[in-house]
Amino acid sequence: MGALDELSPREISVLLRGEPERIAAWTGQWSARRLALHVVVIIVGAGFYGAAMGWWRDPQQALFTALKFPLIILLTSAANALLNAMLAPLLGLNIPFRQSFSAILTSFVIAAAILGAFSPLMAFLIWNAPPMSSATPSESTYNFIKLTQVAVIAFAGVTGNVRLLQLLSRLGGCRAVARRVLFAWLAGNLFLGSQLSWILRPFIGSPSLPVEFFRATALHGNFYENVFHSLLQLLQ
Amino acid sequence: MNNQNPIPPIPPQVLPPIPPVMPVSGSRSLGDDPSERVAIPNVIVAIEAILRQPRRVIFQLRQPGAGRLIAAMLFVSVVCSLIYGVVAGTFSGGMQLWAAPVKIAAGLMISALICLPSLYIFACLGGSQARLVEVSGLLAGLLMLMTTLLIGFAPVAWIFSQSTESLAWMGTLHLIFWFIATCFGLRFLEAGFSHSNARSLAGFRTWVVIFLLVALQMTTALRPILGTAKTFLPTEKKFFLAHWGDCLKAPDEASKSESR
Repeated sequence: MGALDELSPREISVLLRGEPERIAAWTGQWSARRLALHVVVIIVGAGFYGAAMGWWRDPQQALFTALKFPLIILLTSAANALLNAMLAPLLGLNIPFRQSFSAILTSFVIAAAILGAFSPLMAFLIWNAPPMSSATPSESTYNFIKLTQVAVIAFAGVTGNVRLLQLLSRLGGCRAVARRVLFAWLAGNLFLGSQLSWILRPFIGSPSLPVEFFRATALHGNFYENVFHSLLQLLQ
Repeated sequence: MNNQNPIPPIPPQVLPPIPPVMPVSGSRSLGDDPSERVAIPNVIVAIEAILRQPRRVIFQLRQPGAGRLIAAMLFVSVVCSLIYGVVAGTFSGGMQLWAAPVKIAAGLMISALICLPSLYIFACLGGSQARLVEVSGLLAGLLMLMTTLLIGFAPVAWIFSQSTESLAWMGTLHLIFWFIATCFGLRFLEAGFSHSNARSLAGFRTWVVIFLLVALQMTTALRPILGTAKTFLPTEKKFFLAHWGDCLKAPDEASKSESR
């Protein structure tokens, strides 16, 4: 059966299992339907997780975060596509643009599917948490929810990248080259993804601030400046 | 007696697909691979070749009629640096939308022109058999690879340009992108020299330091590239380290609205 004939939502399980041969065949063949399926999985998976994340603050915040979370993934993939496609051959993996884009998107699809699967758990956690309001400051609850979010997102991201490493090893036939390419892609995607997250904040929201899609200061400063200033304050 | 248990025929061996890993440069002679002998007819193929088959570009630079390839690579370098310059110019907008691309493209070409004679001299001193046209071609390849990579960084640079006011931050970011792109470009140049029978790469490495210094000084000689000023070119002469020091010492003054 050809790789294109197998197109169905069931292929997500193949991605999660990490069957490098089949995934390599898929990335080698360009299919608009498969691309659409992957984009839908990212929108649904990351969207549901985003909704669960924002729901604690307000239903409207849930809607905003549901839109913003997949947007970060898709914008990062698109904006870095050209750079990632150039870096792969320069670092020893001679794959075409479409294949590098598909490979990266595949890792995001895996991460989004995991996030989507965790979204009911996150919603349950939020439902059991005391409401977020300025009247009842709940620092420990806030920290617990924040750390849980970090743990789930980290798990999804690490799994997606482990699968991507397996795929790159298969495509390149050499683990050292695969590691080099993965590291370069990760560096670029994390660098841009962090800034996009900064621009598109808030995600969880704050009881003392209004619910809004963008903060008024969205385009003032950048993520790294903020981290730098925080470090300076800490040292002083 | 007939053999009742004949040995089954050995099935034809299915060779595993050749992994698309780039061959290590320098392990084979140039042109051994037939794909390296295929001519580079246009700029798109030139870009593709320098990313995926740098040996093909190096081989073609040794063939008669390499001038066309060099011209194509320089054309790509100018176009890509102009595009990246527009992205850099969006930080301040206004006049910088045309001034930044002009300065970046001109600065890059002037730096290359200034450094070309010394590159040829160092190549000869190192025992390289490369002719001037080949050295020029390798330098043009460096510029093309560097500026093509900068185009890859352009979307990231644009997003940061729109979300920060700090000139120091944007300057640092552009320098990091330029440095990464230059490293890949220099790697191509070194691969080219390693195929020219050079006995030593010490001269080449010295030239790399010179080229980096010239390019960095060019950013100060043609300032402002990111910020704005009343004049197109600076009226005061400065060393680039002194200029950067001034920018970092006065971050408030160095916002995009100030003349830096």
